[in-house]
Amino acid sequence: MKSTEEKGEDGRSATQLRPLSCTRSVLNRAHGSASFSQGETKILAAVYGPKAGTKKNENPEKACIEVIWKPKSGQIGKAEKEYEMILKRTLQNICILNVHPNTTTTIIIQVVNDDGSLLPCAINAACSALVDAGIPLKYLAVAISFCLAEDEYCVLDPNKLEEQCLEQGRAAIKLLSDFLRRKLWSKVQSDVSVAG
Amino acid sequence: MESKPSNSPSSLVDQHVFPGDVVLDLSKMTNQTIKLGSSLRQDGDAISAMKAGKLRFAKPNKYWVESSHKRYVPCAGDTVLGIVVDSKADYFLVDIKAPTLAFLPVLAFEGGTRRNIPKFEMGTLLYARVVMANTGMNPELACMDATGKAAEFGPLKDGYMFESTTGLSRMLLKSPPCPLLETLGKKLAFEIAVGLNGRVWVNASSPSIIILVANSIMKSESLSPVQQKIMVDNLLQRVQ
Repeated sequence: MKSTEEKGEDGRSATQLRPLSCTRSVLNRAHGSASFSQGETKILAAVYGPKAGTKKNENPEKACIEVIWKPKSGQIGKAEKEYEMILKRTLQNICILNVHPNTTTTIIIQVVNDDGSLLPCAINAACSALVDAGIPLKYLAVAISFCLAEDEYCVLDPNKLEEQCLEQGRAAIKLLSDFLRRKLWSKVQSDVSVAG
Repeated sequence: MESKPSNSPSSLVDQHVFPGDVVLDLSKMTNQTIKLGSSLRQDGDAISAMKAGKLRFAKPNKYWVESSHKRYVPCAGDTVLGIVVDSKADYFLVDIKAPTLAFLPVLAFEGGTRRNIPKFEMGTLLYARVVMANTGMNPELACMDATGKAAEFGPLKDGYMFESTTGLSRMLLKSPPCPLLETLGKKLAFEIAVGLNGRVWVNASSPSIIILVANSIMKSESLSPVQQKIMVDNLLQRVQ
């Protein structure tokens, strides 16, 4: 059980994040790509688009966003489909969908290494890849996960070990408002280089 | 909650902006007409950026965000390099790296009538001008300038075409010409066509010159003017 002063196994206190790093334009053929890592968790996101045509059930007056989640190993199952759905809804909220109607933007997420906090890392990687590709966005999406332990004690950015130990509380993913975006800004800004 | 409200209109000009950054606050500026260029949108009283890039300002009242990407957003008046994908009865379908395919009307050539319709195979490279580009509609091209003359538009034969980013195309089309093209032009003879959609076509008498020019252009995107000149000088010394 940790108090706010005690450090965890990797020397982090409860409110300290793991080291973040982000690289853009990693892939040659993708229209936009980014590699985002939080500690040991690393995710590669590639964006293709906008390309002409939407799928059958989608609204042709808006742009369509398609997410493909590729796990590190194993077959694609229900967990991957759930991640795809969560990511698609998140990204639909930040993209401006009426700039290019009747087009499809495909985002492919490849898990390179999983050490906890997978979905927030994927959201961050996908957002960086969208910025790299030049897809019009309303604002940037930032995500972080935290674990709630028994006595409402909160641990930020858990790694896999912490996620499994704190099973009673559930890791929740929260989309942050501009306030916390500014706090993380100084950590990410030195690594993220901007187009243009 | 707005982030970084700018106090004066010019506080963010020539700075890097991210999507969602409020670049102008209209409630503080009264009685002014402002023209918004690419990647800026109006959200009530605030003008915010849609893409990441550098905010630019041109007098008297134009703002836009300059960024470099692999895809192209069509804009009327641009000259682009397109590849013919299909041909229909009244128009050709041309791929210009935009979200949708572009239409090139069969009569949009100098002296074009129903009797002398050009026949382009799939894969033909064309140098064309964007006549109309509205949201929701396919952009329209023409292989003649505004007065109706051919003016070098049309299919490009031989040579080598490669793709790069829109920022590189803008740099190659700057006037005065960028030091890269000047230095190459002093020693080598070649012809070049630059499309604003990120495609460049190079032609010369021998393949080695074509390869040299293409490679030096591809390498020069992130270099400053002085570095470009040094790189080209090194390359030319090794060849001759």
